[in-house]
Amino acid sequence: MDAAGHGREEDHVNRCTVTTGFFVLGRCGRQAAASCGQCGRPVCAEHAAPSGVCPECLAAQGYGSQDPHDPAWARGRRRHYYQSSSHAYQDAAWYSSFDQYDRGAFNPGDDYAQGGDWGSDDDTGFVDS
Amino acid sequence: MMRHRAAYVAFDRFPSSKGSAVHIAQMADELFARFDGGLLCAIGGGDLPRYQREGTREIARFDEPVPNLIDRAEAFSAWVAGHLEPHLDTLEVCHVRDPWSALPAVADGPRRRRRHKVVYEVNGLPSIEMAHTWPWAAPSTLAKVRELERHCLERSDAVVVPSRVIGAAVRGLGVPDAKVHLVPNGADVPQPSQRPPDAPERYLVYVGALQPWQGLDVLLRAFARLADLPDLRLVVCASVPERRAKPLRRAAERIGVADRVDWRFTLPHHEVAAWLAHAEVSVAPLTGCARNLDQGCAPLKVIESMAAGVPVVASDLPAVRELMADGEHGRLVPADRPAELARAVRVLLEYPAEAAAMGRRGRAHIAADLTWARSRAELAAVYDTVHDTSTPPDRER
Repeated sequence: MDAAGHGREEDHVNRCTVTTGFFVLGRCGRQAAASCGQCGRPVCAEHAAPSGVCPECLAAQGYGSQDPHDPAWARGRRRHYYQSSSHAYQDAAWYSSFDQYDRGAFNPGDDYAQGGDWGSDDDTGFVDS
Repeated sequence: MMRHRAAYVAFDRFPSSKGSAVHIAQMADELFARFDGGLLCAIGGGDLPRYQREGTREIARFDEPVPNLIDRAEAFSAWVAGHLEPHLDTLEVCHVRDPWSALPAVADGPRRRRRHKVVYEVNGLPSIEMAHTWPWAAPSTLAKVRELERHCLERSDAVVVPSRVIGAAVRGLGVPDAKVHLVPNGADVPQPSQRPPDAPERYLVYVGALQPWQGLDVLLRAFARLADLPDLRLVVCASVPERRAKPLRRAAERIGVADRVDWRFTLPHHEVAAWLAHAEVSVAPLTGCARNLDQGCAPLKVIESMAAGVPVVASDLPAVRELMADGEHGRLVPADRPAELARAVRVLLEYPAEAAAMGRRGRAHIAADLTWARSRAELAAVYDTVHDTSTPPDRER
């Protein structure tokens, strides 16, 4: 952030909202130079890709659609699911054997199981030190 | 788009306030440092962005809200498969932490065998641990999970374990000795920290998650036996959201210690370090259950407490004995015995000079033997091993 002496005008300047950091996350906060061509968020000169999108959108482009309502998503997902990892998944010995009975024990919503209730602020790791 | 030579996959939120996130950060950082960047696949949600780019590193986060754990784990597997696919031609090492992350990594492609090596880091075995977290999971279900673990372990090129007990559990699943590598957890000795402004005068501290095997109920019962020390409080720095503490808070009420316990939730790591450093004693009351005894564990709280220079009172389990010595860095007491736990704490409080000496020895022990730098060097050696060895020509599938 700039020093307070820069006055109110600075407050109106759009700040780059790109998330930075690896273990400790922050916002870039530099002065925005453009807005992302895809999601419209303000980005600074350093974070704007030559194609005019933010780093998040740029990275997302490489991995296909993530929107479940987009038909391409389901197609892509099915393809990846059965092709990229097909050999393991078609191993009927175990994969198809998680049946409804197995899955039922892992439904959220009860207080008793520690993993029981589940919300967006929970992580899902199995093992913790 | 970027093509990566390394990938790290974890079915875990990253970053987060849990110990596992510290571990992931250290291990992934080492991997990416060796391979000039890489792709980290983890769990997102909340305000974490789906994608992030930091120089040559990319973070992709899975954030589909799938409530059922098995459904979610399988959806994650498929998502990981999709995210590894663009890199399959360049990928050299894929590091995974659990069976559902490992599944897409160990799979061979439809047309040809995978070229990358898989390093499977086993911090625990869901087939054992799920029996505790999901009490309604049937033995037959857990057997299927075990089959899945076996499947992935068998196809991995190296298996990394943080403790010898876990190493033994992995060998018990049929992994040959030569494939198992011990990479202990570590801690960095922190800079002296300010006393937290809201810290009580004298307090015991518990740091970590609140699953039943952590033994917090044992600690609460032990604390009830220290009621004659009126200025002594117990501070619980939980790494999980507040609503997870409901059953334990009820237990504290019932046991009659609720008004002497302070709860803190999901504090950032540097604040936890300050709470540790200014405590009288840090307690790790792990229970003597199958999760801790058969599967094993490598409790970061013990290592981080020693790094902070605070004496530790912990359960006398093989996995804990690997990290600290009784009478040297604190006290080891029988698991699940509140009276023994209370007595050990009381003795340390009675002899502050000896307790402080234990804290200093613990810190020296960490600085000499259990730093992250050392763990990372050992992990790097594992990467070298798998990376240099070429795949045997006709590996059985």
